Amino acid sequence: MGAVLSRAAVAKMPLLARWRNWAPVAVLFALCALISILSPNFLSLANFVGILNSAAIPTVLCMGATFVILMGSIDLSIEGIVAVSAVLVSLLVDNDVSTYSIGLLAVPIAILVGGAMGFLNGFLHVKLKTPSFMTTLGVGFAGIGIATTILGGFTARISDQSIRYLSLGRLLGLPVAAWIALGAVLLALLMQERMRFGRWVYAIGTDEMTARHAGIPIERTRILIFSIAGMFYGLAGVLSVAQFGQGHALISQGRLFSTVTAVVVGGTSLSGGVGSVLNSVIGVFIVTVLANGMILTGVPPYVQQGVQGLLIIVAVTLALDRSRLDVVK
Amino acid sequence: MSSKGFLSSPTNRRSFLKHSVGVAAAGTFGFKLASPAIAKETTWTLANSLRSLANPYHATFSKGGADFAKTIDAQYVTLVTEGNSEKGISDIKALLQRTGGKLILNVDPNDSPDARVIVNEVQKAGGYVVTQWNKPDDLHPWDHNPSYVAHMSFDGVPAAKALALQLFKAFGGEGGVVAIGGILSNVPAIERKAGLDQAIAESGGKVKLLDFQAADWNGQKAFDVTQAWLTRFQGQINGIFAANDDMGLGALEALRQAGLAGKVPVVGLDGIAGAVKAVEAGEFAATVAWDPLWTGGMGLAIPYAAATGKIDIAKEPKEHREFYGTSIMVTKDTVAAFKSGGAALDFNNLWSKVTGPIQYRG
Amino acid sequence: MEPVLEIRGVSKAFPGVKALDNVSFSVGKGEVVGLIGENGAGKSTVLKVLNGIYKPDSGGVFIDGMSANITSPRDAFDKGIAMVFQEQLMLPSLTVAENIFLGREEEFLKYGLISKSRMNVAAAIELSKVRLNVAPSTRCSELSFADRQMVEIAKALSLDSRIKGDVTILLDEPTSVLERKEIDLLFEIIKDLKQRASIVFISHRLEEVLAISDRVYVMRDGKVVFETTAADATVKGLHQHMVGRQLHNEYYREARQRHPTAVPVIEAQDLAKKGRFSNVTFTLHEGEIIGIAGVIGSGREDLAKCLAGHTAIDAGVLKIGGKPVSFRAAYDATAAGIGLVPSERKIEGLVASFSVAENMTLAAIPKFVSGCVLRFALENKTARDWVDRLKIKTPSTGTMVGSLSGGNQQKVVLAKWRVAGVRVVILDHPTRGIDVGAKEDVYELIRDMTAEGLAVILLGDTLEEVIGLSSRILVMRDGEIAATFNAAPGNKPTQVELVGHMV
Repeated sequence: MGAVLSRAAVAKMPLLARWRNWAPVAVLFALCALISILSPNFLSLANFVGILNSAAIPTVLCMGATFVILMGSIDLSIEGIVAVSAVLVSLLVDNDVSTYSIGLLAVPIAILVGGAMGFLNGFLHVKLKTPSFMTTLGVGFAGIGIATTILGGFTARISDQSIRYLSLGRLLGLPVAAWIALGAVLLALLMQERMRFGRWVYAIGTDEMTARHAGIPIERTRILIFSIAGMFYGLAGVLSVAQFGQGHALISQGRLFSTVTAVVVGGTSLSGGVGSVLNSVIGVFIVTVLANGMILTGVPPYVQQGVQGLLIIVAVTLALDRSRLDVVK
Repeated sequence: MSSKGFLSSPTNRRSFLKHSVGVAAAGTFGFKLASPAIAKETTWTLANSLRSLANPYHATFSKGGADFAKTIDAQYVTLVTEGNSEKGISDIKALLQRTGGKLILNVDPNDSPDARVIVNEVQKAGGYVVTQWNKPDDLHPWDHNPSYVAHMSFDGVPAAKALALQLFKAFGGEGGVVAIGGILSNVPAIERKAGLDQAIAESGGKVKLLDFQAADWNGQKAFDVTQAWLTRFQGQINGIFAANDDMGLGALEALRQAGLAGKVPVVGLDGIAGAVKAVEAGEFAATVAWDPLWTGGMGLAIPYAAATGKIDIAKEPKEHREFYGTSIMVTKDTVAAFKSGGAALDFNNLWSKVTGPIQYRG
Repeated sequence: MEPVLEIRGVSKAFPGVKALDNVSFSVGKGEVVGLIGENGAGKSTVLKVLNGIYKPDSGGVFIDGMSANITSPRDAFDKGIAMVFQEQLMLPSLTVAENIFLGREEEFLKYGLISKSRMNVAAAIELSKVRLNVAPSTRCSELSFADRQMVEIAKALSLDSRIKGDVTILLDEPTSVLERKEIDLLFEIIKDLKQRASIVFISHRLEEVLAISDRVYVMRDGKVVFETTAADATVKGLHQHMVGRQLHNEYYREARQRHPTAVPVIEAQDLAKKGRFSNVTFTLHEGEIIGIAGVIGSGREDLAKCLAGHTAIDAGVLKIGGKPVSFRAAYDATAAGIGLVPSERKIEGLVASFSVAENMTLAAIPKFVSGCVLRFALENKTARDWVDRLKIKTPSTGTMVGSLSGGNQQKVVLAKWRVAGVRVVILDHPTRGIDVGAKEDVYELIRDMTAEGLAVILLGDTLEEVIGLSSRILVMRDGEIAATFNAAPGNKPTQVELVGHMV
């Protein structure tokens, strides 16, 4: 698919594009306004801390996933990589199953392990010329399997306070995990905007042929992006252990769907080339604030899933650039 | 029942991949031969079928089966469904074929309708089967003698009610509670909510249910829900009732974030190690254990006794064909006993933990 | 003096088509060389060989007299060759500066990070060369079509300040999307560039080519057929060289060309589509074949798609059989009796994994349904009838159509519309990629159709085909009908006459 656009479409673009770019922020704003009217508690510091706690891990996950999606690929291995990372961390620090005790050293190890699994994703995808859908699915399943085997289905409860501090600790009143997530966002932003491969991701995601002609090393970039994504997932594994005080194979259950949802709701296109990590942060907050708001305002549990589904449709409809779609599959 | 399976809607390719990894994972656990090269029990093969080894209940369930197999020196196999009914059934059929029908099966079906299919297959092949937890209401062991030996379950309603009463006791019998439920359509979720409701009704207005939310057996969802509750019901929450321990532990972490761990009591069901620890630490008021060692082990011992003629199953009374087991209330007072006792099951005393026949509440 | 850039004896073939046949071509220092020819003559292919997108099957490329192996566009750039494409390749989510320096960001690295300010400054310099007043940090999605084209040109020109030695810029139809004002500006830029670079310029507008070039090459059927200086060339002479070949009356079955009836099937009045075509008025009668001639960008393909209901017209009145219609989608057109045989037959005309019978009945499934069930027996019988009638070479009606030869595939597509009972068949490049024998079969079929009262709109592959088959010819240029010719058998217009209005 080339970036060929008709004259008419381009003429219309500036106004619509600007409006469309801000749609997710507008949705978030409207949501917050609505909830705070119905439930003033929403605006309290305690609630904000709660929202940050709930949003920290999804945000880190989205940083990795956004790059993959911008490139036009998909990453289904999120849960598997987080599981391996979490299980390893929980066994390497003070816990009730094994005797290791390496404390915060587990953090870089988890990130490296995540990166290694991400590298495997990219390597299989590029060298075996298999669609990312399949390779990441395979690595993801393998990850859950490995995590299950290591712990035998049980849970390792950690007692290492330095790890738990990553979630329970407070800096300037806000959870340490939120600060870590912020750091991840800033790092991702730096990579996206100021590093060559960050720009190349957009090129590859928009029109691979053009990217190839320009001399961009496509295979190398693909492998690099999957590896980086894996590192973010590894970090999320650490934060998961910190938050729940335990590691087990199913600790990340459901995260894949919520991550991709947040990315899409934030305005990044699943076909690649359009979006940004900042969009995904907005997406995470939209999803988290909505869930929080529904409980604060007493929306019945039966209805909540329906509301979430509706939100996804609304957000995607607003953000999607339909003039570029000839065939909608 | 504990946590649910992972990515449970299959496509052809996904099924294939799942099978491979599931078999690989199961392979590290199941298909274990008894240690001596020649097993003493050579006619019958024993098998437990369960959802996933990645949760503590089923991991212990499988261990229970392995323990029993060791006592009779028989070959023991673990079948893992990964939340996929078709896989569960086809694995059982394959094993029936391989063993020529000489199979003793203890199955926790992925979904109620599966039980009927499995019972028919086992009966056709001449094996013996016990079902756990889920079965259709009109399927009874006494209609399928001698293959369908028994159905074991736990009554969620009285267990949950007793648990709720423990919770109320922990905060002095008067105040507000919030409740976290499992997947709304699951039978255990419905039973446990009913038990809680009964306890609340009995309190005569002294205990109020502030809110009820479904967290789908998922601890992380429970975490998010509890955080929001802490904002909404600032200071009004005196206790948290969770329909399983995973969710209870998630709620506990949310309390911890707010500095309330140990100050607001939490209760859950399943009796997993994490919950037991929390009871010891005073952060959980109580948990209810379903004794997976018992269901995993006795669930094989009983059909084995039927197969080898030690008992004539057709002559056993109905409450030995469909029964509830004994759940164990684990509180601060009983936790020490719980942890030390119950380790060695007496496989000769088949009915010792039967509490009564299964009731159909419509 | 050695030419700056030269190709000698280059041939390049694609499946079914010989795109370049022993082509030799050179560009001198500071020279502007124009390249003209009909659609499919091979002009773009030559540039793509020079730019490293295609590797020649034989022959070689020489830079400054020395043999060069150009492996990719990036490699071409490093060797001093840059190309501006006919299709826009700007990436919308990236900024102007990022597009200009795509793949060449190393220049702006500071501690491993791209210095946006330095890149923007450098981009501003390039933009000033094309006098484009746009901030380098603007997202390309916000630029107009013409502005993007200028950025493309700026991107190619950025070669100028970065490569030592001789530099060649290849321009493939750069003016087709520009307005008059921008074209004048482009010409000024080219004149200015001549002092430092050499230029190859493709355009279908002959006056433009002659105005700006020093020398001109004419290509036809993959060969270079004529070379001249611009000063010595005349438009008429160039036209003559562009067309050249003789017509065979028999080839196009002119003897079977019927006189159309007076019954109008399609009446088009002032049809227009923004940016594509306007003021299109014509009437198509039963038994008539109207051929539409025009180069890429003339609007004829867009017109065909609109008549077939695939895209909407913005203005004008279209009547089918006397009744005004408005197509919302292709099935409306099919229901009105219009069928399109598309140029991309494999992608748009057939479902390759379906059988011959299934493809034939694809447009008329309601005829083969009884209750809720497909009537396979009827489907197969119908398919067998048509296989016989059209002499389609296939092992059976159940064969996957993807395995048939191009010519037979095309016959299946034609059969599909016959089965659907359409009154008008629009043929978009019907004999593309088909061997000579099969082409004759297709021409025969077209005559059969008109004999049975169908009407045909033909967008032919070559002028010869259009002239040979049509009863009337519309020549389109830049979106409008530039001329109309009657083409009765024995009194056909010549290709030169047509070309005169096309370019």
